[in-house]
Amino acid sequence: MTTQIPSLDDPRVLVQTPATIYDAIPPYAPRTEREAEFYTLRDGEMLVNMGPQHPSTHGVLRLVLKIEGERVSDLDPVLGYLHRGIEKLGENADYHHAICYTDPLEYISSLFNELAPVMAFEQLLDLRVPRRAEYIRVLSCELLRIASHALFMGWMALDLGGLTPILYGFIERDEIVEMLAALTGQRMLFNYMRIGGVNGDLNHEFLSRLGDWMSRALREIEANTTLLNENEIFVKRTRGLGVIDRRMALGLGLTGPNVRASGIPYDVRRAHPYGVYPELEFDIPTRDEGDSYARYMLRVDEIKQSIRIIDQVLHRMPDGPVMAKVPRRITPRPGRAWAAIESPRGQYGCYAISDGTDQPYRFRIHDPSFVNLQAVVPLMPGNLLADTMAVMASLDPVMGGIDK
Amino acid sequence: MALNPEDRGRPGVAPGTPDPAGSGSLAVPSGGELAEPIVVPNEFWSSSNPAAYGGGQPPVITHLHQVEAAVDPGDNARWGALEVIPAKADYLLDLLRMNSLWPLLSGLSCCAIEMMSTATSRNDVDRFSMFPFRASPRQADVLIVAGTLTTKMAGPLLRLWEQMPEPKWCVAMGDCTCSGGRFKRSYSVVQGIDRIMPVDVYVPGCPPRPEGLIYGMMKLQQLITQRRGRWAERAVGPNVPVER
Repeated sequence: MTTQIPSLDDPRVLVQTPATIYDAIPPYAPRTEREAEFYTLRDGEMLVNMGPQHPSTHGVLRLVLKIEGERVSDLDPVLGYLHRGIEKLGENADYHHAICYTDPLEYISSLFNELAPVMAFEQLLDLRVPRRAEYIRVLSCELLRIASHALFMGWMALDLGGLTPILYGFIERDEIVEMLAALTGQRMLFNYMRIGGVNGDLNHEFLSRLGDWMSRALREIEANTTLLNENEIFVKRTRGLGVIDRRMALGLGLTGPNVRASGIPYDVRRAHPYGVYPELEFDIPTRDEGDSYARYMLRVDEIKQSIRIIDQVLHRMPDGPVMAKVPRRITPRPGRAWAAIESPRGQYGCYAISDGTDQPYRFRIHDPSFVNLQAVVPLMPGNLLADTMAVMASLDPVMGGIDK
Repeated sequence: MALNPEDRGRPGVAPGTPDPAGSGSLAVPSGGELAEPIVVPNEFWSSSNPAAYGGGQPPVITHLHQVEAAVDPGDNARWGALEVIPAKADYLLDLLRMNSLWPLLSGLSCCAIEMMSTATSRNDVDRFSMFPFRASPRQADVLIVAGTLTTKMAGPLLRLWEQMPEPKWCVAMGDCTCSGGRFKRSYSVVQGIDRIMPVDVYVPGCPPRPEGLIYGMMKLQQLITQRRGRWAERAVGPNVPVER
């Protein structure tokens, strides 16, 4: 008897049909001890399904919450609703194409998704990037970091029920992505980083928009933060909530603003410098409290540091080419390379293996959102159901990167 | 001219006509029963120019079949003093539906950010009467599928679509939902949402600009009025085999 291979053209195989996938309890017998423990209900406990369609799960995350009254006693994140098979697609594309596939991973900050694989591939090729290209990379990445953090500030308030800050966050974000669209030609998935440089040089429209925005950026960010920083409801709902102490942050392997809000000044730009970051002056802001409010405030501080970096980059921008001489068909020597950068969510790494052909043998994306999201599980027990989103939003996960 | 409730029951006589017995121009076309039209008195608008729209003369055309029978009504058709607006119920209801589209706040991935950008102040889709993004499918009219649809998410999305009350419309936003886009060769991505559900408007782009989504939504509005109540007639993608 032959096995029939399901065709992608058959719509019936595309939908995982059993109605039980909507139930909070999975339709199969528990496969691990953790599942057996989680899906056994004691007296007074019940399971609540949150997602995958929920306005504040930041995408298609599904959380199964075990609640006791109004308190969450346990929770089980169910991932994979946005698994697009990006790493596998990258293995079947050549090195230039693979960058295009990694673009929509963390779609809010897509330049960073391109930069890490590009840097790994450059290591495989022993390629030196022109200095002007390095500066342009830093410039565009820091701009996008501001856009991402501005969106975060809005989302955090949105998940707590405040509608106004997201409007201001999107004003900043749209201004920046329009600026980057003048530079790269796209508003969101830029596809700008190239192996050996960047796609195009700075142009007049980008620079005039940037100068216009830089003249009022700090003032506008300050104005936006006054909406939330001392808002009584916001502070009461976030201060002291979801405290991550140093030991826990290190144990979970958190990176980015989440670990810096716990008092550990780990920043890839400073700890393992790449690009031209060693030449630039900037601080690594830290906070000691480790709660949701500290994670929010830390991102506000980072925006100011990013503006400072952009200012220096614009003053030091050297002349020269923006692309190294790279052949169209790249065949690096067999070997392995690891490159890590500091994305707005933490350490974003790429581990690439080459077998000497023009396609990567394997490349693996280490995504900070995935690591940061696991902090929700130890943080939530004991907290109110309504605070789930206040904790999750402060960790700023993006589902595209988590599910890959 | 006011609506006379007694007139409404009389067959073949349209309500609100000044001279129901004598006017030959109001003859009902023969062949089949004629559904009684809804005639809405115009109480909410009058022209500032007294000479406009017939200058206060009694209306000549009060029914839709008269409009259709007219040779060339043109833009300046004289509808009398506009005391009545002749219309079919579907036409009126479609006007209402078109002008208050409530999209479902359901983002799958990248395009969701541009969808939210469409809703916020810079692009402000509010201007085109499609603002209140509802989080519950039971309160929504339009499902904007924004982002890559994977096989694992296909079931929940179908259920969202089925939970929305009719009339409802579906907009496929982005290349991934139109055809698979850059994930055309992926093992876990549905190659176009029209394989599993009907789609009214396709908005290509990866992701489309907010202006693109607004244009797509305006096309949807145009489509709603043009279909005149036949809202269930949707394009089903070419790849869906018909089950007999």
